[in-house]
Amino acid sequence: MAVAKAPSIPWYGATLKEWLFTTDHKKVGMLYLVTTLLYFAVAGLFGMLVRYEQTAPGIQLPSLFGKTGADLYNYLLTGHGAIILLWWAVNVWMGGFANILVPLMIGAKDVAFPRLNAFGYWAFFGASVLVLLTLIPQNWIMMLWTGYPPYSMNDNAGSTILYIAIVALYGVSSTAGSVNMITTIVSLRAKGLGWTKLNLFAHSIMAASLINLFGVPALLGAITLLFTDKYLGTNFYNPALGGDPLLYQHLLWFYSHPVVYIMILPAFGVFSEVISTMSRKPIFGYISMMFAIYAIALVGFFTWVHHMFVSGVPDWARVIFSYTTLFVAVPTGIKIFNWVATLHKGAIRFNSPMLFTLGGILMFLIGGLTGIPNAMVSIDIGISDSLFIVGHFHYVLGMALTFGAFSGMYYWYPKIIGKMYSEGIAKLSFWLMLIGANIFYFFQMYMGMVQGMPRRYPDYPPIPEWISLMQIQTVGSIILGIGILLSFINWIKSLWGPKAPDNPWGSPSLEWTMTDTPVGPHNFKKEPVEVPEDWHPYAYYKGYHTHI
Amino acid sequence: MKYLLTLLALTGSVFAEEVLAYPRAYWENSVKVWFWVAVIIYLIVAIPSIYFAIKYRYRKGEHEEGEHIEGNTALEVVWTVIPTIIVLFLGTYSFANFVKQRNAPEGALEVKVVAFMWGWEFEYPNGKKVYAFFNQEGFTAPEEQKAYVPAGKPVKVYLTSRDVIHSFFVHPAKITEDAVPGRITRLWFQINKPGEYFVFCREYCGTWHSRMFAILKVVSEEEFNKWLGGTQPAQQTSSTEANITTQ
Repeated sequence: MAVAKAPSIPWYGATLKEWLFTTDHKKVGMLYLVTTLLYFAVAGLFGMLVRYEQTAPGIQLPSLFGKTGADLYNYLLTGHGAIILLWWAVNVWMGGFANILVPLMIGAKDVAFPRLNAFGYWAFFGASVLVLLTLIPQNWIMMLWTGYPPYSMNDNAGSTILYIAIVALYGVSSTAGSVNMITTIVSLRAKGLGWTKLNLFAHSIMAASLINLFGVPALLGAITLLFTDKYLGTNFYNPALGGDPLLYQHLLWFYSHPVVYIMILPAFGVFSEVISTMSRKPIFGYISMMFAIYAIALVGFFTWVHHMFVSGVPDWARVIFSYTTLFVAVPTGIKIFNWVATLHKGAIRFNSPMLFTLGGILMFLIGGLTGIPNAMVSIDIGISDSLFIVGHFHYVLGMALTFGAFSGMYYWYPKIIGKMYSEGIAKLSFWLMLIGANIFYFFQMYMGMVQGMPRRYPDYPPIPEWISLMQIQTVGSIILGIGILLSFINWIKSLWGPKAPDNPWGSPSLEWTMTDTPVGPHNFKKEPVEVPEDWHPYAYYKGYHTHI
Repeated sequence: MKYLLTLLALTGSVFAEEVLAYPRAYWENSVKVWFWVAVIIYLIVAIPSIYFAIKYRYRKGEHEEGEHIEGNTALEVVWTVIPTIIVLFLGTYSFANFVKQRNAPEGALEVKVVAFMWGWEFEYPNGKKVYAFFNQEGFTAPEEQKAYVPAGKPVKVYLTSRDVIHSFFVHPAKITEDAVPGRITRLWFQINKPGEYFVFCREYCGTWHSRMFAILKVVSEEEFNKWLGGTQPAQQTSSTEANITTQ
């Protein structure tokens, strides 16, 4: 059989033209990854400026171009939230890691629709350019990432049309990505690779794509009605003429609550891959892990009202959604217990991917347990929109998810880039991030729950205790920032690092055993890919973890 | 460490001598239950993880391969069923407290509050109004902008908004509810100790969101009645109109 002789240009030899017109899933994935990391850094800087503002009472940020320091704060907060959520937390997975890894894990040459994939990236790129336009003071968006009407239709809130355009382009891009991933996983799996032999990371991408596909229409509906209300004179959200602003919140959260599972499930996927590989042991309870992923995705669609517990919805709805939200804890608990059981009788290697994974799991546990008060309606009506919720979701997204993404970056860096990174810097980065983030977010939660400090405040009463709590948080955020910076330096510096072996961790998963490092143009050393009967991505026997 | 101790003190003070405010007392009950459940679950997971991580660490030449264990159905059933029970318990405990937190006791003083960018309008049963405007200078307010409430007496607040969504957070009572245009929402609270307390806006509403506060002046019932001007509720409609003309 004739083997296609593709020009063997790895990523580092590709021309600009190839980057612009590529449909190769690895290159598209790398474009996503670079974009998402750059925007993560930008959103991080926004976050540091927010910390600067909150370190002391009063307005610290300067008045610029006729806008007050408080307006600048509101813009920075909007930017921080929107970019971290949509650019970093969603697209580091759905754009970056999913594109690069899923075809490699299932033994496919590319995704099902390579051109749609490239289109998805360029739509995302368009949204990214629009985000940069908001840096111009006339274009500041100050309606926060949620864009609740009626405020988002107010002229003080900034450019509504720009907000709508950014979200719409993001929606187009993520729908293209989800359709692609679902089709790829359903139809392009290698011979012998059944649903129960799929990597848990691939399962999590499958579940996340399904969530996206069912959720995005609600989001696009919400912003379409916002558009017609603001510019075409309709009154969907106008109570004076029979509309209701809560309609927007329902539509928004019908997408935006499940979206947190789009963000966290792939992080769980990385935890599963790394913990199994580094313990040299199959993942404990693979089948229950798999069902837990889909259970979280399903239950996640029936919990959105907990974001609206104090918005005026009826009391019976609050109680029902309180229970449904609490039930998310059950499948999530299964996953955590299975990870702990995977460690039992393993042979655990404490390299940087594993440190980030263990740290991520233990921090997710705090994030999950501090999620319970938001589900218990009795507690939530006292802490809604306080700093507690901010601290809680930073434990989940700022720590668990980010640690998952950093774990994934270190774990697959050798395969994606072909070079080894500096282990010392990676470990230092991990410890700084762990310590800094814990100082920061613990006191944030404390301030919200015990002191009752509301969120989204550039200014607050000069209560001595509040000031010192804010200063402690700022110290934590600086340590966290240095830790993140070290990892960025590490990834850039290591582009010139030593060459990586094909399977540095000794994993039996296909992306390690069947490919060159970095992965060649047609992905696999041997075509077509076929896996033996007793092979499993977590099978540490018969030498499957060294060759196949 | 100081804060950790305060947190522990808060969650441990089951037999607090005096109740500062309602529905805060019910809220604290729920918080205490959650806190201890969370701490115990955290230890149940974290201690074995750290123990396993140390005990089963990779040792070159000695311990290089993990054992081949794929799962344990009995264990997996246990850690599905027990969390389900815990979750049902927490949900029901919260439900029971929530009913008390939401429903004002009989005989509560009814106050209407209208939120706007950026301030609050309080209207008392006899038509007396208080406007609490945001203050660019800081978190202080002139005497006439303070909303008086009687100490030790429940106050039921009916909320709505004139423009965008706001949220009426009674800081000492740990209760908040959104003020939504086109809707009337409600909450109740009771503060037992006289003094001055904050009401903050907790739903983002633009430039001066963080300065959208009101000061609740909690005074004895006598003093409150004196301030209100007569204990008899006046004719609702006419007095409202009269007040608007005199404002």
